[in-house]
Amino acid sequence: MKKLIAIVEDEPAIRDNYAAAFTREGYTVRTYGNRSAAMTAFAARLPDLAIIDISLEDEPEGGFELCRQLRALSAELPIIFLTARDSELDAVSGLRLGADDFLTKDLSLAHLSARVNALFRRVDALRRPNEENQVVQRGPLKLDSERMQVEWEGKVVLLSLTEFWIVHALAKHPGHVKNRQQLMDAANVVLDDNTITSHIKRIRRKFQAIDPKFDGVQTVYGMGYRWVE
Amino acid sequence: MESVLREGEKQSLAAVSQTIASSLQGRGDLLYRSEAAGELAKPEPFDVHPLPLAGEPFLDGYADDWPQTPRASSDSSPYGYAHSSGRAEEQPLPPQAWTYVNNGQDRLGILTGVHERMLYVLLDVRDDKLVFDATASNPLNPQALGDRVWLGFEDADGVERQVFISATSPGVVRARRIETRELGQQVAVEEPRIEGAWQPTSRGYRVELRVPLSLLGNRFGVLVDDRDERGALPSSYGTLRPDDLNTRGRLIVASPDLAPYLHQFIQPGLRLTVTTPQGSTLASADGPAPPADLGEERGILARIYRRLLDQPGQSRRLETPAPIYDHDRQKIIGTLRVTQTIDRWLTLRDRALTTLLNFTLITSAIAVLTMFVFAAHLALRLSRLQRASESALTREGLVTTFPETRAPDELGNVARSFSTLLQRLNEYTGYLRTLAGKLAHEIRTPLTIVRSSLENIESEGGMPPQARVYLDRAREGSERLNAILVAMGAATRVEEAIQGAERTRFDLVRVIASAISSYRIGFPAREFAERLPTEPVEIDGAPDLVVQMLDKLVDNAVDFSPPGATITIGVRLEPGAAIVEVENPGPPLPLEAHGRLFESLWQSRKGGDDERPHFGLGLYIVKLIAEFHGGRAEASDLPDSSGARFSVWLERRES
Repeated sequence: MKKLIAIVEDEPAIRDNYAAAFTREGYTVRTYGNRSAAMTAFAARLPDLAIIDISLEDEPEGGFELCRQLRALSAELPIIFLTARDSELDAVSGLRLGADDFLTKDLSLAHLSARVNALFRRVDALRRPNEENQVVQRGPLKLDSERMQVEWEGKVVLLSLTEFWIVHALAKHPGHVKNRQQLMDAANVVLDDNTITSHIKRIRRKFQAIDPKFDGVQTVYGMGYRWVE
Repeated sequence: MESVLREGEKQSLAAVSQTIASSLQGRGDLLYRSEAAGELAKPEPFDVHPLPLAGEPFLDGYADDWPQTPRASSDSSPYGYAHSSGRAEEQPLPPQAWTYVNNGQDRLGILTGVHERMLYVLLDVRDDKLVFDATASNPLNPQALGDRVWLGFEDADGVERQVFISATSPGVVRARRIETRELGQQVAVEEPRIEGAWQPTSRGYRVELRVPLSLLGNRFGVLVDDRDERGALPSSYGTLRPDDLNTRGRLIVASPDLAPYLHQFIQPGLRLTVTTPQGSTLASADGPAPPADLGEERGILARIYRRLLDQPGQSRRLETPAPIYDHDRQKIIGTLRVTQTIDRWLTLRDRALTTLLNFTLITSAIAVLTMFVFAAHLALRLSRLQRASESALTREGLVTTFPETRAPDELGNVARSFSTLLQRLNEYTGYLRTLAGKLAHEIRTPLTIVRSSLENIESEGGMPPQARVYLDRAREGSERLNAILVAMGAATRVEEAIQGAERTRFDLVRVIASAISSYRIGFPAREFAERLPTEPVEIDGAPDLVVQMLDKLVDNAVDFSPPGATITIGVRLEPGAAIVEVENPGPPLPLEAHGRLFESLWQSRKGGDDERPHFGLGLYIVKLIAEFHGGRAEASDLPDSSGARFSVWLERRES
C-alpha cells in the first residue's frame, strides 16, 4: 500500500510541485491549503507523514497549532515543518511541539525526499523487533541508526532527524573532529555556521536534561566538534 | 536730562511767580508807599528809585557799605527771614544803581536806598574846587556860602519843601531849612531828622544823607550849588528846578509792608524780587539756605556726574519774571521775579541725576547680570542639546534618551521635534535593518516555486538536450539567488544567535591558541604568528562566539593579504580589557571606510579571489560579538602603512 503524505501549504505552486515530486517517488499525496481543511481530512484518516508550513493563509502560526492537534491524534506520526521562516525561535518552537524535523524551503527536493524516506524507515524500524546489529554502543550512548533513536544511560533522547544525524556522524568515530561542512553533509542539509552551532547547543541540552554532567560533544575551536567518551 | 529738569523747575518757578504776582494784582498800596502806583508806568527822567538796602549804611560819605543784596551774615540761624540772613554772596553795587545828572559830564551821581523807613542818599559830586562854608558864619550869609546841596521834596501833605546841607569842614553835617520869621527875616533852622556826612574825594566830594521816609511825600529831588569860591554865583545842577527848587521827579519807594508780604511766600533756595516796571528793585526776600542734606551732597558719583554733565558757559540761574497788573489789568505796576538760587538748582539736579544715574546703573547691572545668567543657562542647555543630538544617532541607529524634551519653551519644542525626528529615523533605520531579512523571507517563497519546478522538470526527464542546458543555467541562477538570500538573512540570524548565547568563564589565551593551530591547517598559504600572554586570561563570555569572531577576522586578513604573508594574532591586556588583535600585510584601509567597516552589508575593500557572495557581514558579526563581550571593535592602518590591524576590546573583570 502506498504511503500517504499530507502536505499542508498555502502556496499552491509549491504545494503542487511537492505533490508532483512525492507522487513521482511513489507516494500518495493529499494537499491542503489551510488548517481547517487539513484537520477535517485528518479526522477522517490520518496520513502516514505530514509536511506542514507554519503560516497558513490567514493564520501566521497555524502550522504550530496544526502540529499540536496532529500530535494529539497520533504520537508516532512523523511531522516535518517546511517553512520559509528560518528563525531560531521558530525552529525551537516547532521541535518542542514534537515535530520530527524543521526544514527551510531552500532545501532541495532530493534532500527533502531523502528525509521523508528516512522517517518512513524509522517508523518501519520502530514497528519491527529490535535488530542489535544496527546499534552502535559508545559507553553510555546507544545509537540505533535503523530506528534513528539515541539512548543515554538507557534513557531515550528525543532528537530531531537533523540532530540524530549530527550525533551519529560525531559518535561513529569518537575523537575525530568533524567540521561544520561534514556535519551538514551528514545531516543532508545546507546550514550556515550559526545554525550548526545552535543544533549542537540543542543536542547538548537534550543530553544534559538526562545527565547534567554530559560533556560528550566537545568544541574544537576553529575546527569543529568531536565526540569524546 | 538737565534741560528737562531745568524746564520742570522753570515751570514750577513760573507757577510760583504767577501765583504771587496774581496775589499782588491791584495792590499798588502794597507795592508802593504812595497811592499813585498806576502812574508809575510812565517813567520820568528825574524819578528816584531807591534801592532796598539789606543793612543800614554808616553815614560816612562812602558807598562801599551800601549792600544792595543781603550781606553774608554771621547769624548762625540759616532760617531767619531777616534781610541780613541767607547765604547769598555779597554783591557790589551795580553801576546802574547810580543816577547821573548833568548830561554827559556826570557831575552829580545820585545813589539812593531805603532801609527800615529811612531814605539814604549818597551824592557823588565832581568838583574841581571844594569850597566849604566859612566857619562860624551865618549859613545864610551870601558871602560865606560855599558848595551847598539842596534837598527838595513834597512832604506828607503834598507841600513842596526844601532843606540844604552845607559844611564848614568834612564830617557830620545836618540839614537846615530856611524859615522866614515874622519880620521877613530868614533863619536857617536845623532839621535834626536829616543827618549826613560830608566827605571830600579826589574828584570832589561826597555827601551821605539819611532822611526819614515819614518826612517825605511822593516827590523828591536834589540840587547842587557849585561855587568856585565863597560867595560866588553858583552853578546849579540836579533834579530840582534850579529856579524855585521845586521837585521834578517822584520818589518811588516800596511800601514797608511789601517785604514782609513777600516773606510769606519764601521757600528755601528761592529769592523773590519785586521791581518797578522800569526794573528797579522795590523789595526782595531771600529764602533760607537749603537744608544741609540737600546742599552738601557731594559724593564721588555726584562729582563724576557733574563733571560729565556740566556744560561750561551755560547759565545755571533760573529766573521767572511775572508782571503785576493793576485792578483792571490795564497797566503793569510792577514785576515779580522769582529766582532759583544756584545751589538749590544744582543740588536738585545733582540729586535727581545721582538718583537717576544710580538707578540706571543698578538697573543696567541687574539687566546685564540677568542677561548673562540667562544666556549662560541657554548656552548650557543648547550645548547639552547639541551634545545629545551629536550622540543621539549612533551608527546602529539607536536613539539614546534626549534631554530638554520637558522644557516648556522653544528649546523644549526643538528638543521634542528632534526627539520625534530621531524616533522616526530610528524606526526607519530599524525598518531598513530588517528590510534585508524581510525581503529574503518574501523572496524565498517564489524562489522555492522556481527551484522546485526546476527540480520537477529535471526529474520528469524526457526533455531535449538543448533544453537541459537552459535548465542547468536556470538552476544555477536560482542557486545563486538562494545564496544571496541566505546571506541577506544571515545578519538577523547572527543577532539572534548572539543574543541567545550563554556566558561562561573561559581562558581566552587557550581558546585563541587552539583556534590559531586550526588556522595553520585551514590556511596553508599563510603564515600565522602569535603574540599571546603566557598567563591564562580569564574572561566572561561565549568561547564559541570569540572563535567565530576570530574566524571572521582571519577570513578578512587572508582575503586582503598576498599568499605567503604572515598574519599576526595577538592578545594584549589593558586594565579592564583584553584586546584581540589581528594584523595582516596588505593594502591600507580605504579612507572612507573608517568607522563604517563594521556596519552590516558594507563592503568596500576589494580583494580576495573567492566567488561567494560577500555582504560585509563578517566584520559586522565581529562588532556584534565584541559588544556582546562589553567591548568594541576598531580598525586601523599599521604604523608603517604596510597593512591593517583589527582590534577587538573584550571586557575583563576580576572574578
